[in-house]
Amino acid sequence: MTSLAGRIAMVTGAANGIGKRCACLLADEGADLVLIDLDDGALEALAAELDRQDCNAVAIAGDCREDEVLERAFEAAQARFGAVDILVNNVGRSARERAGEFVGSDPATWRFVLEVSLMTSMRFARRAAPAMRERGWGRIINMSSDAALAGDAGLADYAAAKSGLLGFTRSLARELAPYGVTVNAVCPGAIRTRATEEMAPDIMARVVRSIPAGRMGEPEDVARLVAFLAGEGGRYITGQTLLVDGGRWML
Amino acid sequence: MLVTGAAAGIGLACARRFLAEGARIAMVDRDPNRLSGARDSLAPPDRTFVIALDVSDGAAVREGVGEAARRMGGIDGIVNNAAVDLLRPFAEMSASDWNGVMAVNLVGAMEVCRAALDPLAASGRGAIVNVASAAGLRPVPGRVAYCASKAALIMATKALALELAERGIRANAVCPGAVDTDLFRASLGDQWTVEDVKARYAQRRIGDAEEIAAAVAFLLSDEASFITGSALAVDGGRAFH
Repeated sequence: MTSLAGRIAMVTGAANGIGKRCACLLADEGADLVLIDLDDGALEALAAELDRQDCNAVAIAGDCREDEVLERAFEAAQARFGAVDILVNNVGRSARERAGEFVGSDPATWRFVLEVSLMTSMRFARRAAPAMRERGWGRIINMSSDAALAGDAGLADYAAAKSGLLGFTRSLARELAPYGVTVNAVCPGAIRTRATEEMAPDIMARVVRSIPAGRMGEPEDVARLVAFLAGEGGRYITGQTLLVDGGRWML
Repeated sequence: MLVTGAAAGIGLACARRFLAEGARIAMVDRDPNRLSGARDSLAPPDRTFVIALDVSDGAAVREGVGEAARRMGGIDGIVNNAAVDLLRPFAEMSASDWNGVMAVNLVGAMEVCRAALDPLAASGRGAIVNVASAAGLRPVPGRVAYCASKAALIMATKALALELAERGIRANAVCPGAVDTDLFRASLGDQWTVEDVKARYAQRRIGDAEEIAAAVAFLLSDEASFITGSALAVDGGRAFH
């Protein structure tokens, strides 16, 4: 497939899981890729894999929260390919080991989660949007979560950040719509990633029972929606929140 | 693939797209003349079957869907696109006005789904896309029954998705914004111009039927195999769902 031939796509948090499948699928469709991730080993492996498939990819190792990393990514994109056409704001995370009930939580943890899961997407969009607007074509795809809609006990900060992304998505969609730039949010449900591999079998079984489709999702399921939104098929879809969750929460 | 309201607009664009992707199509519409004209506009005709029926006639739906399954050798996907609009002030609406809209937009779509259940389950990848409307997410003026029927169709789609998941059938709704079709032109009445309508949309334009068909095709395809019970607005930015 080459429906994205000549397009330049940037994926944050690209080295593993959903970000990785998004990058691979956009590359399969012909896009040139700019990959950013903290996990430099996995990032290099992905860049090498794409290279073997004759896809053009440039890898930037670093923390997406840092301005220097953001600047380096956009400069590398410009130097190697040109202006970014498709921005997949995938990076985001919960507080993991620091996560817990809100009543015992700490503002420093919230700040960290909001910074990674909301502010970083805003900063990347802020950097990418002017050139998209100027050229009259662009796609911004923000990775939210079903936690934004359903809430998630023990992850109030994460749900707040992901829900914040939805309001951001709708507002930016309004601003950029007249310029041929669409902005949408994708909310994955329970997706099989490194984090879920570590789940206890009984918890896993309970999660699967809660999904009408009867299975966990794969990163591929999310990536296919992202690729659809990135292509011409998505040009009239903007400001939307799309769930990929096997029917667990129906919007 | 079975498409209702296939003689024009979004239904015809869906049929055209599925044919290009290699599918066999049963085109359902209540107007036999427009239907055969629409079929003749498509190529290749050997993969298209036309079935003239009104989706508000339950007996005709059961017979027609059965015929479609026989002629195509099964049904993998259905697109419930047939709909009627009613531009009428609420104070002037009778119960039969309400029933007429609901009979096609909600009950008609559900009857087509019910008639197609066995072939969809047998397919192993059966999928339903109900063409609702962004007016079912966020209202538009002058069309109370239409908005209500589309909101009902969206919720019926979700409830169906929940119930049909165990048979391996997905169900989703696509919610188009204003698309330049005959139904849309008629819906303007004397009160609104195309420019008034455009002003409601972030993209400041009316959609093409092909843009709706792209979303329908995606949701019916295996690309969307983990998406069920969703309502996707394809509206250039109005519903912000």
